[in-house]
Amino acid sequence: MRNTSIVVGIFMLILIVIVALAGPSVVNSLIFPGERPLMRGSYRPYQLDSPEHPIGTDGDGRDGLSVFVSSIGPSLQIGIIAGATATSLGVIIGFVAGYAKGRLDTLLRILIDMVLVIPTLPLLLMLAAYIERWDLYKLSLILGIFGWSFVARVIRPQVQSLRERSYVDLAVLSGENALEITFLELLPPLLPYIGYVFSLSIVGSMLAEAGLQIIGLGAGGLPTLGFMIAKGFRESVIAIGLLGQMLLPAGALIYVFLALNLINTGLDEVFNPRLQTTVEGE
Amino acid sequence: MTANIDARADESATERQDAGRREVFQYAIRRFGVYLFTLWAAITVAFFIFRLVPGDPMNILLGNLTRAEGRQRDAAAEEAIIAHYREIFGMDDPLPLQYVNYLRKAVLGGLDLGPSFVEYPAQTKDLVFRRMPWTLGIFTTSVFLAWLIGTGLGALIGWMQRHGLSQLAVILSTLLQITPQYLVALGLIIYAGYTLRILPAGGPYARHLQPEWSWEFISSLIQHAILPMLSNMIVIGAGFTLGMRALMISVLGEDYLTFARAKGLSPFTVLKDYAFRNALIPQVTGLAIIIGATLNGTFIIEILFQYPGLGTLFVQAMGLRDFNTMQAIVLFSIFAVLTLTLIVDLALPLLDPRIRRVA
Repeated sequence: MRNTSIVVGIFMLILIVIVALAGPSVVNSLIFPGERPLMRGSYRPYQLDSPEHPIGTDGDGRDGLSVFVSSIGPSLQIGIIAGATATSLGVIIGFVAGYAKGRLDTLLRILIDMVLVIPTLPLLLMLAAYIERWDLYKLSLILGIFGWSFVARVIRPQVQSLRERSYVDLAVLSGENALEITFLELLPPLLPYIGYVFSLSIVGSMLAEAGLQIIGLGAGGLPTLGFMIAKGFRESVIAIGLLGQMLLPAGALIYVFLALNLINTGLDEVFNPRLQTTVEGE
Repeated sequence: MTANIDARADESATERQDAGRREVFQYAIRRFGVYLFTLWAAITVAFFIFRLVPGDPMNILLGNLTRAEGRQRDAAAEEAIIAHYREIFGMDDPLPLQYVNYLRKAVLGGLDLGPSFVEYPAQTKDLVFRRMPWTLGIFTTSVFLAWLIGTGLGALIGWMQRHGLSQLAVILSTLLQITPQYLVALGLIIYAGYTLRILPAGGPYARHLQPEWSWEFISSLIQHAILPMLSNMIVIGAGFTLGMRALMISVLGEDYLTFARAKGLSPFTVLKDYAFRNALIPQVTGLAIIIGATLNGTFIIEILFQYPGLGTLFVQAMGLRDFNTMQAIVLFSIFAVLTLTLIVDLALPLLDPRIRRVA
């Protein structure tokens, strides 16, 4: 199946992953051979844009472009790890709830609804204050653990409706056990939907991470795009004239969200045939 | 004879109406029961999450105190301080007892949520009530306006979907919808607030004013609220626009619209009475779904705009590890999200006659 928005979205993602992976060393070897542009105090701080420093230098005397390029990777990593954690937890719980009828389902449904209404931001802020040394993995796992309820909430009804299909009845009659039914019958048709939810979770996690950084309470010192934006805001780089140091990281975040949004729109069309007929019907 | 039949038909009609009303009533009661239960359960989960977080808040508080005083640590005094505060906060009791006490005080003691650290000995309850209007004001006004504008705009864009302007509007709303609220807020602060200086970008009202019923104060209040509300509205409004557009397009394919057009109704009547009304119902449900996430966003926006709402209070409370205040704010957020969702859910049968009959 060909779907333009999925293709464009994936292409955009691949592009930024390449920048994230190769960017730091390319910038380093092309523009600053033999220097350490990420070390504090390497240059005079707050230099305006110049051929040597395309987006200037930051308040710590580091090269802005190098900081930007090396911030993309951690941001993406947090999004992917947290998104994967949230999606796997949510899919497991959603499958158990959707597959088990009766009391277990009721219990899990209540649990999901409860966790869903607990506002995550205050809890995240609190955890952020309690944990002394943040690293990327800790932060990602915590973001993921807070994100599962949404996934479970949307996966459960999908499993429930699939479970009632006659081909599943057939599988039950032919003696497949619960695990076989889950992995052979229920999971494959839901994969595009799970991809859709995964991508939403990535967006949610990156959003939360950058939000925490911007209000200044997040994982201080993790070099992410959110941190760069927050630092730029605190150092009022816009007033100094270093536009790029805020617009580039903000733009990169929006770029990633746009790419994932395109993939989602495409997956939605694949998964939800009703959208196709209405679009064609018009 | 005919009169008799008519009377009987009338009777059964009123009976049906009564039955319908009874069903709506039962639905409301059941929905309210679910609401109370979820409220209790969510508060319980929040309580235990707060207690399960590693690290003793008392130690952190003490660390802050000694650091602020710049003094050598005095073990005996420290013990005394810790014991004192642990007693105030009832932290020596076993966890289940703490929980029961907390619920008992909160429900029977008229929302007694304990003293606060931030403004000791002010009651947490008073603190939260003082800050709440700021948060709710920004939050409800911006969500409501965004919903109105987004729904209207989305209906229009969906209706004229092949118009060039509509396609431009779709691209714009998609871009705005994926932009995080806080980035919009930062942009507004930097450009509207500091670069162009059109609107104030910090605080609830001008520094030299006192809250009073004067035109100067009220206009300052409104001016200060515009940018925080805009940050919320732009993003949510774009989401509602796209949602309503999709709903509108799916309604446009329905047979009853073709029929209405074939009847020779004016395009405006078709749009207003046939397409719009039917697309509206899922859009109201959509309102219920975004309430929670938007409250989170509002907290961040408050902090960025130094707006004296609950989000800012939470950050202050966190600096002091003020357990009671933080918990009260979480409690309030849960209550607000659940209550607003309940209101939307109960309003649905009024909007949609189908739910009224089926439910």
